[in-house]
Amino acid sequence: MRGPELDPEAPFDPGAVHAVSLSNGLRLRVLAERGWPTVSYQTFFQVGSRDERPGITGISHLFEHMMFNGAARYGPKEFDRVLEGRGGHSNAFTSTDLTVYHDDFAADALEVVADLESDRMESLRIDDAVLEQERAVVKEERRLRTDDSAFGLMEEQLEALVFLAHPYRWPVVGWMADIERITRADCEAFFRSAYAPSNAAVYLVGDVDPDRALQLLERRYGHLPARPPLARTPGDEPEQRGPRQAIIGFPAEAPAILVGWRGPAARSPDSLALDLVQACLAIGEASRLRRRMIHGGGAVSVNASWGWRIDPGVFMVFAELPPGGRADRAERMILEEVARLADRPVAGAELRRARALLRSALLHELGTHHGLAQALGQAEALLGDWREAARALGRYEALGPADLRRAARAWLDPARRSTVILDPREAR
Amino acid sequence: MSGVVQPPLVRERLPSGLEVVVARRAGIPLAAIRLLLRAGSALDPPGRAGLASLVALSARRGTRRLPGERLDAAVEATGGELGIGVDEDAAVAGLSVPVGELGRSLGLVADVAATPGLAPAEVARLRRREVAGLAHDASEPGVLADRALLRFGYGDHPYGHPSEGLARDLRRTTRAEVVAFHALRWRPSRATVVLVGPIDVPAALALVRRRFGGWRAAPGGDLEVAPVSRPRDRRVVIVDRPEQGQAQIRLGFPGLPRASAEHAAGVVAGAVLGGGFTSRLMEAIRVDRGLSYGVRGRFASARAGGLFVVSSFTKVESAGELVRVALAELARFADEGPTAEELDRMRAYLGGLHPLSLETHEAWAEKLVEVELYGLGPDEVTGFRERLAAVDAAACRALSARSFGGEGRLVVAVGPARRLAPQLEHLGPVTVVAPGAVM
Repeated sequence: MRGPELDPEAPFDPGAVHAVSLSNGLRLRVLAERGWPTVSYQTFFQVGSRDERPGITGISHLFEHMMFNGAARYGPKEFDRVLEGRGGHSNAFTSTDLTVYHDDFAADALEVVADLESDRMESLRIDDAVLEQERAVVKEERRLRTDDSAFGLMEEQLEALVFLAHPYRWPVVGWMADIERITRADCEAFFRSAYAPSNAAVYLVGDVDPDRALQLLERRYGHLPARPPLARTPGDEPEQRGPRQAIIGFPAEAPAILVGWRGPAARSPDSLALDLVQACLAIGEASRLRRRMIHGGGAVSVNASWGWRIDPGVFMVFAELPPGGRADRAERMILEEVARLADRPVAGAELRRARALLRSALLHELGTHHGLAQALGQAEALLGDWREAARALGRYEALGPADLRRAARAWLDPARRSTVILDPREAR
Repeated sequence: MSGVVQPPLVRERLPSGLEVVVARRAGIPLAAIRLLLRAGSALDPPGRAGLASLVALSARRGTRRLPGERLDAAVEATGGELGIGVDEDAAVAGLSVPVGELGRSLGLVADVAATPGLAPAEVARLRRREVAGLAHDASEPGVLADRALLRFGYGDHPYGHPSEGLARDLRRTTRAEVVAFHALRWRPSRATVVLVGPIDVPAALALVRRRFGGWRAAPGGDLEVAPVSRPRDRRVVIVDRPEQGQAQIRLGFPGLPRASAEHAAGVVAGAVLGGGFTSRLMEAIRVDRGLSYGVRGRFASARAGGLFVVSSFTKVESAGELVRVALAELARFADEGPTAEELDRMRAYLGGLHPLSLETHEAWAEKLVEVELYGLGPDEVTGFRERLAAVDAAACRALSARSFGGEGRLVVAVGPARRLAPQLEHLGPVTVVAPGAVM
């Protein structure tokens, strides 16, 4: 664990990361953090919904479920049983860009975890019974998070408005008809291409000896054959020439509104500036939208989210309104506050507040082995270099009021917004 | 497997009765601050469900010295975000700040606790906002299920309403009641300050004395909540949402208070039945049958008692099957207890999760609040593994037989009553309520 003398501008030492690429293309990154007896072991596959095609949307996510159901050395139901028996737990997530498997465990279980992970990467079993079981589970997940959820439906609709052509227009979980359509042959083809070693990286952070850990990983993964790279789905997107809007009827008592803009790709310098814009708009009680819409305007909640992606991300503002509240009025408030940021530079104190909030959030994220491994993997996947995880704090400090204004002007143009309104009346 | 090393704790009691617990710990240069106030929603007066929460929200909106927006600006200038969470037993104010800002931030928290503004316009606005927020919650099937579980699981006990309150009660709550609750229940003699991080302990104690030393309250207000009584009947409650494609399911059984000597047995039994990905319920419901994306079972324990709760969801037409499978697994466990392999695996699993759950200053601060609130022993953290090791199959079986092997049982389902009732009516008398009944 890092000591109290830590330099706040470098939350971990990038020079301490041991980085190796195997001949099959698999990347290994190991960071020893010896102060606490746990390890985080994360495998990032560079595949998500952006790599899918219509007809089998959701296959990346469905396949994530398949990965827990047995391989050559560890059979069905054994992965979690063995890991839990050694004091660890495991989970995974799929996003538009990535599929990530993360194991967190007591340090002495490292050998077993490397064996479990390399086994399923090498020789996953894919059979019809497992596919049918996981298909049913994923359909329940979709019902929970989307079909019976007001926000889930709104978010799904917003992505489909913001993107006409890019694969980001379909949901990560997939359309229900596609989830039902995916075959075992689809899964086998997906495994061969998307789970090739050259499309993956392993991040190990925690109480380990880095040299021995690297030797272990090389032993477990070094013999896996190289495979051809994944063919990517084209992601061109035509220019948006005016506002777009959708209204969703849902059995609810009160309306809500979600406004979104197509932002830059993660690698753009404006991504960092939009983090600061997000903090000014809706992080903390002193943020502009909270003050205006909640403390002064009768809204129930307002949040902004700016998620970095390999291709253009979406900057979103979501507000819940009281029963009978007017969505057009709420949208006007959101657009006025966004316009103020685009028109006038933020004051020094406001910018310092935004930086301080992001700094706290980043330090918290990097304060656990899990968070550090996650940050290294995200930085490498989205920005091309894991060292970027150590540079974020310094980069926020380097941005000034003009950068925020430029980013707001460039990306949050009211003429290029997309709006989704939850109308409780439609369902009556 | 390595154990958890607890940072040394330094304790002090101020003349006002305020307890202070400070733990110096290396790590990120932020200090975690918590103020525990034993003023949870179980102290809401009858007909005023949500008062404790409204008091906390109102206090957060400004002090006599710093009205709302100035307080927000002062808190957030350091990168901290001050929140006050309320559950059945306590209100807990918390934030993380750079170590060098500890004094100023403690001053702000002390002002919020001792001299909140409770401005009439702010109280009225917050009341409207809370009621409007409940209107949104009313379309969340999971929220409806949790609320119905409390309402019908605890009945007339003070735990029988959600901490966020009920819309009808909030609407008639007055600012005078907010002021009176604060004066009576937010008192230094029922509060504890917890600080964790790379801090200078003597300096931190001096800061607490200076910032909180002037906080005084009139005598009184030391009210304890009566123990939860065990439900003895079987019933089915359906919250009718005709348009849903998926049913939210909760099962409730008699449970334990958090400080019970059987807590460790409850943790192990809960993990075997409904924790992690290898639990019996997960295997029977998700892995073997694909009925749900998730299922959990655990002893949900608070100061005066608790429930054993199973939570899951499935497409409406499978609701009866999911409940049948879950009840069969619980009955089998109450009869047989865990196997030796399950006991070993879950002890290792829980022992491994323990250090993972205590990796940050924030996590330690939360744990120390838990120890203080529930009156747990000084070995709560360091003795965890030994307590796990002492749990045997007989202890799990005895506890389970008493909890879900008896007559007391509540089944809650949220979804279309017309389709759910025929699937569940053999399990006990069915009560159908509208969502508004639990909001």
